[in-house]
Amino acid sequence: MGAVAGVAPPDNSTRRRGVQPLRAGQGNEFLLRKLHSLSGIVPIGAFLVEHIISNFELVHGPLAYAQQVKFLNGLPLVRVLEWAFIFIPLLYHAGFGVFITFRGRANVNVYPWAGNWMYVAQRVSGLIAFAYIIQHVWRQRFAGVSLPEHPGFAYSKVQMELAHPWMLAIYVIAMVATCFHFAYGIWLFAAKWGITPGDNARKKSAWVCGAVGSALCAMGLVSIFWVAYGKQYPIQDVMPAQPNGVVMPTVPTVNGAAEYPTTNSAGQPIAPNGVPR
Amino acid sequence: MATKTKNGHGGTKAEPYKGTSYKVSIKRQAHPDAPARTEVFELPYRKGMNITSVLGDIAMEPVNASGADTTAIAYDANCLEEICGSCAMLINGKARMACSALVDKLLAEAGGDTITLAPLSKFPVVRDLAVDRSVLFENLKAVKAWVPIDGSYDLGPGPKQFPQIQEARYPLSNCISCTICMEVCPQFNEDTNFVGAATIAQARLFNMDPSGAVLKEERLRALAGDGGVQECGYAQNCVQACPKQLPLTEAISDISRDVIVQKVKDFFVR
Repeated sequence: MGAVAGVAPPDNSTRRRGVQPLRAGQGNEFLLRKLHSLSGIVPIGAFLVEHIISNFELVHGPLAYAQQVKFLNGLPLVRVLEWAFIFIPLLYHAGFGVFITFRGRANVNVYPWAGNWMYVAQRVSGLIAFAYIIQHVWRQRFAGVSLPEHPGFAYSKVQMELAHPWMLAIYVIAMVATCFHFAYGIWLFAAKWGITPGDNARKKSAWVCGAVGSALCAMGLVSIFWVAYGKQYPIQDVMPAQPNGVVMPTVPTVNGAAEYPTTNSAGQPIAPNGVPR
Repeated sequence: MATKTKNGHGGTKAEPYKGTSYKVSIKRQAHPDAPARTEVFELPYRKGMNITSVLGDIAMEPVNASGADTTAIAYDANCLEEICGSCAMLINGKARMACSALVDKLLAEAGGDTITLAPLSKFPVVRDLAVDRSVLFENLKAVKAWVPIDGSYDLGPGPKQFPQIQEARYPLSNCISCTICMEVCPQFNEDTNFVGAATIAQARLFNMDPSGAVLKEERLRALAGDGGVQECGYAQNCVQACPKQLPLTEAISDISRDVIVQKVKDFFVR
């Protein structure tokens, strides 16, 4: 054959090209996916646990809750901690999670198997949690009375929020969705990072994650219902004049003099009792 | 393993089919750029048929249910005993092997007198039920799923392989490249271009081979690329649908860990 093959004509067909082969060793998706996976456990998951446990303090009343809020806001570099370990990781996890969600093709209608349902549930619960967290952070952290400056209003702010039945329903749905997302997220993390490769290991892991998620969810729901249906407190600052950070408790006075002795018999100063009468 | 009714083999005893004939509705396409259409065939009922024998019956007398002459159905098949991996297609909407999909069970499952056939949905159609599954071959090449023993001289005997390793490897060696694990995977699509479970399992198989392990790091780095093991969403459809019961989720988990370790090592050492 003397003819030399020319350049192949361009492929003008509109047919689907199908799924393309692996781009071996190329791109950054691996790092992004692993950061997404890890950020869901630490710091976001760790913060969720802290948040639900801290909120459980409100079963001891507005003052105990206010003191918990004040303690957290008194942590060193608290605003740096808040952005570096809560807001930025959360924004990344949520944003990349939405990206992952809309790149998947759920087929649970054709293959209605347990793992496939969990795949869908993880994405749905993530989207619910994201939508909830946007309004939650806006309404409870940035809008209204500033709790870092007025921790005494913490209980009142939550009580006013949950007074609305629609908001109560949103909180309950979001609590269940978030705890499920976290619990199944731990299970997925263990499976996908090769910690639980075997079938039995994954079954055991499912029990542990289920127990952790249920316990967290129960604590969260108790806190919500406690505020919504428990004793209704007057809307007030239970710790007025509490500046930021750590302060010395004030010495209670009666007619201009200290109500309690401020020195012991040897003339050494003793700590005044900070508990209000 | 879970109940096998999902795969179309085994499971509950089906009620015997009462009718004298049954219909087969087939999604057809004359060539890759042609529009898809559905053609229905009506066949006399015989006991103990599978889908490849149904397609053979149609080929012997290609007349559709309305009596018009048509062409035989194009499909891939070879061994007819679920070992070559050619005849995967959507049967009653689900991906399975045509050779091991039994008409009696399919009619009982559908609850009517019609079985539907369609080509795998995630691969370009060549014609009728035949699809282009070369992406799996490209993926296997991308992860070097082989043992490099070719040389210009005799390399001598390979290292000893312990029975424990053989036992761990054997289930993974059962892969027939049917691509059902990829078809049923929600992450395997044209947006993610995910590599799919079969390739990951083969990477694991050859990483565990004492001679194949020489390419282990290359395989792991390849699988960290875009579309690699990280795209797995752990829906576990692959392991449910696999006709050869490969431990696919276990392989994904193991490879995932190995890839992470490799990437961390590369980051700090290289």
